[in-house]
Amino acid sequence: MKEELIKIEELIGNFDDIEKSDIKDLMQRLFSKLGNRLENYVGDYPTFIEPVYLEDNVKIGDDVLIGPNVYIGANSEIQDYVEMSNTIIFENVIIGENFKLENCVVAKNSSLKFKNLDVKNSVLIGEANSIDELQSKQF
Amino acid sequence: MSDKEEREISRIKEVESTNLARAEIRDEVIETKKAVEKDNELLANRVHQKFKDYNIKSFDIVGAIGAGKTALLEKIAEKLSSQYRILVICGDITTRVDADRIEKYKAETVQINTGRECALNAYHIHQIIKNKDLNNYDLVFIENVGNLICPSDFILGTDKRLIVVSTTEGEWVVEKHPLLFKMSDIAVINKIDLKERLGTDVDKMISDAKKINPKIEVITTSAKTGENIEKLMNLMGL
Repeated sequence: MKEELIKIEELIGNFDDIEKSDIKDLMQRLFSKLGNRLENYVGDYPTFIEPVYLEDNVKIGDDVLIGPNVYIGANSEIQDYVEMSNTIIFENVIIGENFKLENCVVAKNSSLKFKNLDVKNSVLIGEANSIDELQSKQF
Repeated sequence: MSDKEEREISRIKEVESTNLARAEIRDEVIETKKAVEKDNELLANRVHQKFKDYNIKSFDIVGAIGAGKTALLEKIAEKLSSQYRILVICGDITTRVDADRIEKYKAETVQINTGRECALNAYHIHQIIKNKDLNNYDLVFIENVGNLICPSDFILGTDKRLIVVSTTEGEWVVEKHPLLFKMSDIAVINKIDLKERLGTDVDKMISDAKKINPKIEVITTSAKTGENIEKLMNLMGL
């Protein structure tokens, strides 16, 4: 699993070439190996559809649905009413309220502090306080 | 609609009671509830069609905590996993205790931890099957969250629904939960081996189930001794 995560992180570092990369295959490979680690989050009883792997100190808000196939890196925060499947969130990320992410990757230290986003097959990166400031690339 | 109102509607949806809605948002709460029910039904139909397309027999198993849903599934998996490829979806508020028990009998399992939700819905099932190659399965069992109330709100799109009660719950358990019996195809009265010791009136349970739903098939079983498990599987068409 770590091997795929490192490769995916390298790929999203070349933001402009993501469309041409083999990120989809790498994500599939990661999900096929993904185990379950659910016991160490901070928050209020979300719904999990396994497999879901949470690193340490992940904060999860109210009425959140996570899975199947979700990896969340350490110290990331998932706010209320979020739904995500087939998605990788790297460490120190903030995902805003009522985001719906399907088949997405969010780069480390990204801070997406706005509400209501529905995206598929995309890499999200950087700091954004509104949807207009969002940097994303479809694959 | 303001953020505050949105939050309020969502909170009310959560407790599933329009009585709590203030007069000025009552109609929106009702519309939201209707939309949620309709969406669940549409998704359940899609789930059912998928299962049909892949020739998969599917069952939703409901019942209170401790009635024996998992124990029955263990017995069924034990008998069938050499002939059929089985997927069991287990719903629980938390833990993967049930999935771990069933996995020992060579069935593949997926655990859904529903957190604060007291039933599985069609969306949960749809999310799972869209990420699976359904060519790999012959049978799908869905073990719903353990209670006899909430699962009546959500059909899941399976061929049949089984309701499991047990002699330890007392002879009134059937008449106290008419809705789920109305919506089920097979009623299983489990722990029949304890009938004499507990003095439970099983005949009343059977006649109550038939009164509520004349079409329901009723069978008594013991997952512990194996009594009538073969007969139950015949009723299920397995």
